[in-house]
Amino acid sequence: MAIDFANIRFSYPGRPDRPVLNIPSWCVTAAEQVFVCGPSGGGKSTLLGLLSGLLQPVEGELTVLNQRLDLMTDRQRDRFRAAHIGYVFQQFNLMPYLSAMDNILLATRFSSSKGKSALKNEIKALFSTLNIDETLWYTAASQLSVGQQQRVAIARALINKPQLLIADEPTSSLDQANRDAFMALLMSTVAENQMTLIFVSHDLSLSGYFSQVQQLSDFNQLEGAK
Amino acid sequence: MLARLALHSLINRKGSVMLSLAAMTVSVFVLFGVEHIRHQTKENFSSTVSGVDLIVGARTGSLNLLLYSVFRIGSPTNNIRWETYENIASDNNVKWAIPISLGDSHRGYRVLGTTKDYFKHFSYGKKNRLALASGREFDQLFDVVLGAEVARKLSYQLGDKVALAHGIGATSFSNHDDKPFTVVGILAATGTPVDQTLHVSLQGIEAIHIDWQQGVKVSRSNLTVEQLQQANLQPKSITAFMLGLNSRMATFKVQRSINAYAQEPVVAILPGVALSELWQMIGLLENTLLLVSALIFVAACLGVSAMLLASIRERRREIQLLRIIGAPAHFLFLLIELEALLITMLSCVLGAGLLASCLMIFRDYLIGQFGLHIEVNLLTGQSLLLIGIILLASIIVAVIPSLSGFRKAKSIWA
Repeated sequence: MAIDFANIRFSYPGRPDRPVLNIPSWCVTAAEQVFVCGPSGGGKSTLLGLLSGLLQPVEGELTVLNQRLDLMTDRQRDRFRAAHIGYVFQQFNLMPYLSAMDNILLATRFSSSKGKSALKNEIKALFSTLNIDETLWYTAASQLSVGQQQRVAIARALINKPQLLIADEPTSSLDQANRDAFMALLMSTVAENQMTLIFVSHDLSLSGYFSQVQQLSDFNQLEGAK
Repeated sequence: MLARLALHSLINRKGSVMLSLAAMTVSVFVLFGVEHIRHQTKENFSSTVSGVDLIVGARTGSLNLLLYSVFRIGSPTNNIRWETYENIASDNNVKWAIPISLGDSHRGYRVLGTTKDYFKHFSYGKKNRLALASGREFDQLFDVVLGAEVARKLSYQLGDKVALAHGIGATSFSNHDDKPFTVVGILAATGTPVDQTLHVSLQGIEAIHIDWQQGVKVSRSNLTVEQLQQANLQPKSITAFMLGLNSRMATFKVQRSINAYAQEPVVAILPGVALSELWQMIGLLENTLLLVSALIFVAACLGVSAMLLASIRERRREIQLLRIIGAPAHFLFLLIELEALLITMLSCVLGAGLLASCLMIFRDYLIGQFGLHIEVNLLTGQSLLLIGIILLASIIVAVIPSLSGFRKAKSIWA
């Protein structure tokens, strides 16, 4: 089991009367690609916060990659996230003032103890597989086009070889051509590396890429909490 | 990587960073400047006279006597009789005595009438004797030996004629121009008021005042040099004199007996004691200056912190990204501390550079106007300590924005 939520309840501090998530049970098996959709404001972002360990459930058992996130200390969760979870945002996936190369190096800082030159070789190989042109490697992220930025974002999310990849509306800022190219690249990479993918979007036209499509409201039973 | 991130993050926000950097640089400049000049003046002052056990003059405050006899600052209150000098100088405990006579000047530089003993016994700094850079000591009635700076500033050479002026202003209406002196020697630079002094014999001083009474020229007598040389030029009074004793143990005994000298009201001071008295006064002023510059520095630190604090708000997404790639919350604390530290370190370099160039440029002015010899070299143990304190202070003040960054990082998803 890659993800196992059991009796998870979550509400933001200061608003205990307003539960955002109430998930009695939600499981995702390893190496599965799940498309999660739902209206904005429906708790998608909160779900991803819980998955990445940046939010804590108010109650319930939260297991990711067979590890109980709810029992870890902050520091342990930070290390876990660095080592096992890749994350692609809709935008701002890179430090704008660092080069593509430095952005990836920064992403290795919190998980890897490898030497810099070994890391650089790995990054170069990854850039090549992701078809990122060599001229862009040392360009500041802010100078890259949005499409190029999202490609480098995949590289950044993959560099630590995570078992779980989370994508949060990663194609929303891309045009049609770039979106298709991005999806193709993402799906083939995930398949190749046997990663579990949680892909959150409100764009149902992308659901064709996925074996499983779930509505957040299917397993988030807010009515029951009231 | 942390350093690289901090550096690029600062460069990315150059506008506000540059302003904070400028404020910090100015404050470091002021702080360094005050501290450096403080130490330099202290060194300067305390190295002005050494090896002199007692200074004797007409009864006045010890500071006043020290200032006019050694530093050539202010004016003598009164003269003392030649017999008094002779009586005290002949005491068994006295090893040597240097009479000095002040009151005339040349283009703003003071003239000191004395004897050849001055060159033999007067010392400065770590018991350094005066040395001639060129020429010889005064021999003839109208010989003058110049301090290093007098010769350099007024570009005098050996053999040049110098007319002395009555009084000590830079411009004088009553000149002794009928009796010019000849430059026979130029002293090596000492870094003390000696450099700004013209030295003549006591007889020379007498000679130019022979037809003066109460500070006014009474008749334009036409005494020739030959006539003057034959005249009785034994001085009747001098301004003060310095004493070297056979044994330092006797200092207080001699001082007591001079202070109790019945024939004339005179006072003997210990230069070291008077110097530290002087230092207490100046020290108060300097501590005030130091306090003000420290406050300016704290203000600049707060400015940097305010800038960093404001930046945290606009860096929400950067923080979120750092957190998602696994950065612990305290990484943000370190990042912001490091940014503050980088600004401070750069300010130290810029401030010190600015100060060094200013000292270079104003060096001559400081020597000319205040007789201050300020070293341009800022790298002393003191300044290193100061840099340490500066860096520490900036780290402490930057705790405020750093903590804010830490909190932001903690609750980035909420």
